[in-house]
Amino acid sequence: MDEEILQDFLAEAADLVDQLNEQLVELEHSPEDADLLNAVFRGFHTIKGGAGFLAITPLIEVCHRAENVFDKIRNREVAYDAIVADAILRAFDVISDLMDLLKDGVREMPENDPVLLTDLDAITAKNKPPVVEEQIVESPLQLGEGVDPDGDMSEDEFEALLSQRDVMEPEDDDANLGVSTVELSLTEGVDPDGDMSEEEFEALLNQREVLGPDHSNDEPGSIVLAAGVDPDGDMSEDEFEALLGQRDLLEGGESGDVPTPLNVKGSKPQESVPAAPVKSTPKPSNTAAEAKPVAKNTTESTVRVDTRRLDEIMNLVGELVLVRNRLLTLKGAGVSLEDLANAVGNLDHVTTDLQSSVMKTRMQPVKKVFGRFPRVVRDLARQLGKDINLELKGEETDLDKNLVEALADPLVHLVRNSVDHGVEMPDVRAAAGKPKTGTIVLAAEQEGDHILLSITDDGKGMDPDVLRQKAVEKGMMDEIAASQLDDKSAFELILSAGFSTADVISDISGRGVGMDVVKTMITKLNGSIEIHSVLGEGTKINIRVPLTLAILPTLMVGFDEDSYAIPLSSVQEIFDYNPEKTNKIDGQMMVRLRDRSIPLLFLSEWLAPHQTKESYVGDKVVIVSVGNQRVGLVVNQVNGQEEVVIKPLGVMLKKVRGYAGATITGNGSIALILDLPGVVERF
Amino acid sequence: MDMMTQSMTGNDSPSMSEMQDEAAYLGPSARCVLFTLENEIYGIHVKKIREVLRVGIIRTVAGTPHNVLGVINVRGVIVTVIDARSMYGMPAKEISDYSRIIIVELDGERAVGMLVDFVMEVKDIPESKIEALSATKENVSRYIQGIAHFQNNVIILIDVDNMFAGEE
Repeated sequence: MDEEILQDFLAEAADLVDQLNEQLVELEHSPEDADLLNAVFRGFHTIKGGAGFLAITPLIEVCHRAENVFDKIRNREVAYDAIVADAILRAFDVISDLMDLLKDGVREMPENDPVLLTDLDAITAKNKPPVVEEQIVESPLQLGEGVDPDGDMSEDEFEALLSQRDVMEPEDDDANLGVSTVELSLTEGVDPDGDMSEEEFEALLNQREVLGPDHSNDEPGSIVLAAGVDPDGDMSEDEFEALLGQRDLLEGGESGDVPTPLNVKGSKPQESVPAAPVKSTPKPSNTAAEAKPVAKNTTESTVRVDTRRLDEIMNLVGELVLVRNRLLTLKGAGVSLEDLANAVGNLDHVTTDLQSSVMKTRMQPVKKVFGRFPRVVRDLARQLGKDINLELKGEETDLDKNLVEALADPLVHLVRNSVDHGVEMPDVRAAAGKPKTGTIVLAAEQEGDHILLSITDDGKGMDPDVLRQKAVEKGMMDEIAASQLDDKSAFELILSAGFSTADVISDISGRGVGMDVVKTMITKLNGSIEIHSVLGEGTKINIRVPLTLAILPTLMVGFDEDSYAIPLSSVQEIFDYNPEKTNKIDGQMMVRLRDRSIPLLFLSEWLAPHQTKESYVGDKVVIVSVGNQRVGLVVNQVNGQEEVVIKPLGVMLKKVRGYAGATITGNGSIALILDLPGVVERF
Repeated sequence: MDMMTQSMTGNDSPSMSEMQDEAAYLGPSARCVLFTLENEIYGIHVKKIREVLRVGIIRTVAGTPHNVLGVINVRGVIVTVIDARSMYGMPAKEISDYSRIIIVELDGERAVGMLVDFVMEVKDIPESKIEALSATKENVSRYIQGIAHFQNNVIILIDVDNMFAGEE
């Protein structure tokens, strides 16, 4: 299996899988939507095509059957009802599992569950004479009534590709390729050698590109099909072409031996379509065994960047070079201060713009995370027998790539909670005078340099009194303390460890991660979490996270020469250390602050153990919030606020607790960024 | 010094000085950076070495293993510096003008700095002169690829991949 092609395939297919995930659920609501049906069909078809090149048999089998099912649905021979949907979603799960395996470096694919395959076949066979078995892809002729431009297209396309491979053969030295071309049985989609050369692949892609526009009149989605990008409109098409262009450029550099005639032939692919041979013998493949096991299990992590953004960056880099030149000339003769100030001011502007432009390339729409929720909600609601409508808002909000990935798990948990514990059963809702269908709104919006994510349900809400009582029962606090909690703090109790929401709010057991884990994860992202709830009306959970993880506003503190950075989002207040306001309680130094005692951590004991200090007078206390608790960090000096770029600590230091990374300060020295939960653990 | 520049700028064929020393040796050779710790000469293959730096400010990091000296800033990348002496069980030594940090490349992205006493030169060592070390001292020999007897010197060749295997 060619690793590079495989990585390309994975990147492309991952997008498709994300899309399908959403589209499949959407389809259940509007099963008659022809565009949607076509998009889904194309999704499976494109994955199958890619899998075919790479000879990933189980993937091909499933995609192929799913595709067949959707072909029937498009032709109105089968209805997309709940049973079909379940089978298709199961197939989809298999596909996404297989993709995950591939991503993890597994190259020996497990066999498919025969039950699933039979189920899918059964759906296809329902209204069909059994002659047309799933093994043979229906040719355009067999599609019969309701001529389908889509099926037509893809078939042609593959045939065209096939025929081109035929033509290519003589020129290609790779003997393996020649033997198998005709039997590349795109029916099954299997290339028995699985060893297509890179040049060939590129060439085929080129031809698809050329092919696309020819058909764009009667078949607007055809290019999108190839790219597997969003089926709506010009943008994705551009994107695809840009992508191809880039690839071509990349490839062109290293592969001088790309057979050039291909492009020419590519322009008239249809003339060389041999109708009969392609429909040929689906060949049982033994390719899985041949596929080389690949040790490398790191997936390339790639970002798609709009070329306009790259142009913008290029332009700014040009500006940067100009400023540098200007500074270089200034270096020489007598310089007026004004010239210098101008140049430096210019530099300031250019670098700021450049920084934000580069940052934008890392941004991804939050849609990436949201996309999976319709499915999550659907499955869970079905399982629980609830009727729930999920609304997504602000999907186009951009978020740092790392954040998008990091937020996925906590959000899944919160949404599941809303479905499970928030929204009531339909009859309960009806009795309470609410519409039977519950609504969960998942929204994202930018709020300054933060992103606000909210999960709102119109369920039963939470009773702060029950929570207070529970806290007392759990021994977390006494009754007096509990009764003093305001409602908001009471709701936040559910975020503490060992405070299972399941016990409080419903009998259904909590799952996997608890809310405390969610809280920890959000805190790790320098975010905050906020809960509003009205009994009987619903719950709203707000999560705020910074736009990016790469730049962190910090408070710089120091011990002699060494400086440390504390994430500013955790810092609450700073005051002078005053020994008269401290008490030693059970061996722990505490400081009194507005009638509360807060534990003090003397950072120098850990960070500078060699220096013995008699007195901490003159030091500062920085009150920080860590999770739900507050602690006071005693530091030598507070050096002010600085925005820092987080850099990972080097080899052998990743496991050292208490640091979130390092950064380089204005004067070129290194400051260590403290990871507060880790720091607290150390003490 | 003359020898050093020659062997650094020359291609894979043996440099003039070696031609004289080693008659007309033409077999395969390993190009190594040679450095010293105490009185011994060590070598690391050049393909594993990104650069050699003078010792600047090393920022200590509390709570690290004892052989980690701290981190340095190499053009915007934070690189861990370890004391090569402590890796080989030698007592620590004051940093002198001769001390250097050798930046060793572990893979495409990760690098680590090794503080050594003195960096000598870059030399092509004929592979025929390299012999594998008999496996006696397990822990130490994990780091050692072999020993070369070459030009009246005993050169200990270090296997950096093994040395940092499993470190994160």
